[in-house]
Amino acid sequence: MKRFRRQTLTGLVALLLATAGTLWLYAHYCPRLPGYAFLTGWALLTVMLLLTFYNARKKLPFLPLGNSETWLQIHIYLGCFSVVLFLVHLKFHLPHGGFEITLAALFALVSGSGFFGLFFSRVLPRRLATRGGEVIFEKIPALRHGLRTAAEELALGPTAKSPAIGEFYLRRLVPFFAGPRDFWRHLAESRRTVTALLAELDDLHRTGSEAERATVDQLAALVRQKDGLDYHRALQLTLKLWLFVHIPLTYGLLIFTALHLALVFGFSGGAR
Amino acid sequence: MPPAATILERPQRWDAAFDPAMGDDAVDRLLATEPFSGMKAEAFPKRTPLREILRNDTRILRFRKGEIIVRQGDYGTSAFLILRGATRVVLKPDLAPALLGRQAPGKKGVFRTLSQFLNGWRPPESYSRARLKQDAALGARVDEALETRVFLQDIPRVLDQHRTEQMIAGDFFGEIAALSRMPRTSTIFADSDDAELLEIRWQGLRDLMKYDDALRRHINRIYRERALASYLRATPIFRYLDKDQLARVAEAVEFATFGDYDWSGEYKRLAQAGSVRPEKEPAIVTEGDYPNGIVLLRAGFARVSQKTGGGERTLNYIGAGQMFGLREIAHNWQTKTAPVNFQFSLRAIGYTHLLIVPTRVMEEIVLPSLPPDDLPSPVTATETETDTPPPEMVMRQKVGAEILEFLTENRFFNGTATMVIDLDRCTRCDDCVRACAATHDNNPRFLRHGPSAGRLMIANACMHCADPVCMIGCPTGAIHRESFAGQVVINPATCIGCKSCFNNCPYDAIRMVDVRDQAGEFMVDQEMKPITKATKCDLCVENHGGPACQRACPHGALTRLNLNNLDSLTRWLQK
Repeated sequence: MKRFRRQTLTGLVALLLATAGTLWLYAHYCPRLPGYAFLTGWALLTVMLLLTFYNARKKLPFLPLGNSETWLQIHIYLGCFSVVLFLVHLKFHLPHGGFEITLAALFALVSGSGFFGLFFSRVLPRRLATRGGEVIFEKIPALRHGLRTAAEELALGPTAKSPAIGEFYLRRLVPFFAGPRDFWRHLAESRRTVTALLAELDDLHRTGSEAERATVDQLAALVRQKDGLDYHRALQLTLKLWLFVHIPLTYGLLIFTALHLALVFGFSGGAR
Repeated sequence: MPPAATILERPQRWDAAFDPAMGDDAVDRLLATEPFSGMKAEAFPKRTPLREILRNDTRILRFRKGEIIVRQGDYGTSAFLILRGATRVVLKPDLAPALLGRQAPGKKGVFRTLSQFLNGWRPPESYSRARLKQDAALGARVDEALETRVFLQDIPRVLDQHRTEQMIAGDFFGEIAALSRMPRTSTIFADSDDAELLEIRWQGLRDLMKYDDALRRHINRIYRERALASYLRATPIFRYLDKDQLARVAEAVEFATFGDYDWSGEYKRLAQAGSVRPEKEPAIVTEGDYPNGIVLLRAGFARVSQKTGGGERTLNYIGAGQMFGLREIAHNWQTKTAPVNFQFSLRAIGYTHLLIVPTRVMEEIVLPSLPPDDLPSPVTATETETDTPPPEMVMRQKVGAEILEFLTENRFFNGTATMVIDLDRCTRCDDCVRACAATHDNNPRFLRHGPSAGRLMIANACMHCADPVCMIGCPTGAIHRESFAGQVVINPATCIGCKSCFNNCPYDAIRMVDVRDQAGEFMVDQEMKPITKATKCDLCVENHGGPACQRACPHGALTRLNLNNLDSLTRWLQK
């Protein structure tokens, strides 16, 4: 069996077994166990700290702490299991009170952003590899500027002699080359903007002179390149942005969890 | 009107002499010295006369006592003839790495490992004085030709602790390493203050051997005595031979070199111009020829190709230690009624040094010794690409035509630890880059960018080449292999920033950096010029756990692979 498939299967089986075991324990001991909330709470906190330590592992690459790939696998399946533990800790009831609702919402957001991140991490790289060449994210503004300058030179530069192309450039291409475009469309794999622009350029090509046609061909190539850059920007930005949600929320969740602990031990004489 | 053509004088072989200062007097002196005095000038062709070979392909070097001439493990492109004085070869034990300008192999200790926590607050490429301090047992001077010479400070101690042997005027050394492009096997230093040596670059040595029987016999004899027997003994198909049979094989083996010794500088330009095509590479074996011997690759790489349409397609490439032609010869030996010719072509990529074991010797000695199971399957007429592909085609099918051509044309097969990224899994998170920076003086030693084909990208990182051209010409031995066939590393203490490795690397994997002190100020010399050091990926050789980049990838998208053969790549692609 291929390694990735074996890895997924092992993780899923472990998750299912752990979930089944936890639910069995819940069904049998929840009503009878006096320290039920205490036990499930500490278990959940342990799991959350283990999950958080993955970020610390990333900051310590020089220590022999194992492969990040293995850590991520553990992070994914332990993250899924933490949802089960969370529900068991809540006894499958909705939280009540402002603090508990905030805490639960934070947990849901951290988990949700994690699932989104996992989905993006598995889906978007494949799409990036098939379109737009390979671009370093930080270099995109410079490349975009280069394309804009080249297009402007073609349409409005000293050697440009076509009013029709100049007018088209000012009307349609200036906004297109001005900055990143169509974030959501690219994410949704829609090519509406570039298709429309290329269709209009095709019209110009049909009606233009020999010299104009050559210019239009070059402009069309630049439009395709810019579209590829925008595509890469949208997808790479998404791959980076979800972490900017996931990680700060994680620390927020940990702070609220610490407060939760303080409240539990301060005002109720320990969990019951 | 068509543009005017640019007219140039056609480049000639000796446009750049090894030493432009080599004058008539020096050449006359050499012609009066053995072995050149015994060579017949009329045996040399008019375009490469003996006199011009000596004038253009040699140079005279003078060394003082203790100065290192060649280091064990270095890659050299020239041989040496002692003209005057004496040199000394270190036999056993080998000199300590520090005495050769290298860093001692080993992992970081606990304190140094933990101190990397602070790397984030340190200026990039900052060094302490202690870290850049050279070993006290080693000195350096710049000679009259502005070349850096490294010398041993305490020769009596070296003589006391190591078994050495003196070499005197008339002795040759370094010829096997130069011709076969193998690492030097010993360290040799000057044993007198007036040591004068003739350095012959490999092109000159090749021509001298070609046109002078005595020199050729001499070098071939040395080769057979020193290198061949042990090499044949380690080759699997000869493992059933007894001592006498092995000696008979060794006696019959022919040596050959193909391709351009200085391929590294030229190949990139050709690749960019799209003119690196199989049919332009020198043919070692041509498809359809009679199989007159098996080819054993001793150094370099060769492309297995097949005619298709008007060109040739790559089926596989083979590197040092692999062989070609066994299947056809075994087939003809087994099925005498239906002999076959070579089924595929073999072309040298870059520089290739090989051994040819003649068919007669194979049939009389080697093939009868092999158990039937070790013989390759006979060539059959029904072999097709899709149903029962011949072994040579299997790799093309596993890896894919696009990737195979890509790896071959870009010479990536040279890498023993090539950074390969699977673009289908890479999320461009740069965790690999950050891990590299955190492990190496706060400055990453590679770029997560490079040429790609299909789902593979070869990142711009040192590949720790099987043929490390970067190591040729380092004056201080700062760039070296950590072990005999291990990682190529640079010792910052002995790197003088000469850019020799930087210019030699055909993959642009070495960077020159201006180093800083621990306060973040640039270090300068007495003339206020910045101190520059060569840096590159060292495969985290000092760190515990292996390469940080590979360990830092959360998605298993980055790995370091030995591309000398395609087995590991195939396994990784199919994971």
